[in-house]
Amino acid sequence: MIDIYTEKKDSKDWILKNDLYFNLNTCNEEMSQNEIELIQQVDEAKLTPDKHIETKYGLGTIRNLSSGCKTLLNIVKHPDKVVCVEECGPNVLKIIFEMDNIKVYMSRPTLFEIPDDAEIRFNDTDVVTGNSGYNTWWSREYERREMDDL
Amino acid sequence: MKGEKWMIYKNITFKADPFSYDLVFDDRITLVGGDSGTGKTVLYEILEDLRLTNEYKAIKLFNYKSDEFLEAMKRCRNNFIVIDNADILINDDIRTFINFEFSNQYMLFLRNCDGLNVSDKSFKVLKLDNNRITLEEEL
Repeated sequence: MIDIYTEKKDSKDWILKNDLYFNLNTCNEEMSQNEIELIQQVDEAKLTPDKHIETKYGLGTIRNLSSGCKTLLNIVKHPDKVVCVEECGPNVLKIIFEMDNIKVYMSRPTLFEIPDDAEIRFNDTDVVTGNSGYNTWWSREYERREMDDL
Repeated sequence: MKGEKWMIYKNITFKADPFSYDLVFDDRITLVGGDSGTGKTVLYEILEDLRLTNEYKAIKLFNYKSDEFLEAMKRCRNNFIVIDNADILINDDIRTFINFEFSNQYMLFLRNCDGLNVSDKSFKVLKLDNNRITLEEEL
């Protein structure tokens, strides 16, 4: 189940500034082979054992990964937290929605591929499945926002 | 010229070996989106140096590390404003400022265009081809 929250909340269990959280916390954790492969997939970056990276833009450290890649790693490393995905491109969102048992914050819909069997729960209440369920929920949400003049 | 939008820079061109940047702007507000990992923050970091040159001194940069972002932003006049991490930084107040402070030009690394007076020429992605980096229309 992927939990989506659509209203922003200030809480220690939420990660809203992904770059900051990654630079201070996640980057200091051990990276698994799966996470090294995710870094390669998203940023085309090769991570060395001492956490330097090599990308087409040059050499750097793990803190030079893209915001989208940092967000993805924050989610993978901290599945208990609600992570803001508003800065993620479609390439990262596609990977996120192939995962399970994660919690994300998004205030609006984005166009990207969602697996047909992905189970998504909005705001702890509405459960939908796949791309069509996701799009239908957002259509109704926008009707609601329009009626409420939001 | 009547009807023509005020632009601080129609283009920003520079070399940052091994890359050459050739950024052309078609609107007063440019939103740079696309996939993650396409070099938006890399460009932002290069602009930190470029803005120190006489030619590009109108560039003002903001990201999640900027102090007093809202106040500093609202003081900008006749600037080319670049905001990285814009999706988590700008609120309705700033969107209104961007819409109505016509003396500035804006390049926003932003996906959510709600409440912004954008045109179909506003939406761009960074494209890297043969070490040449350009802004292309987002399809």
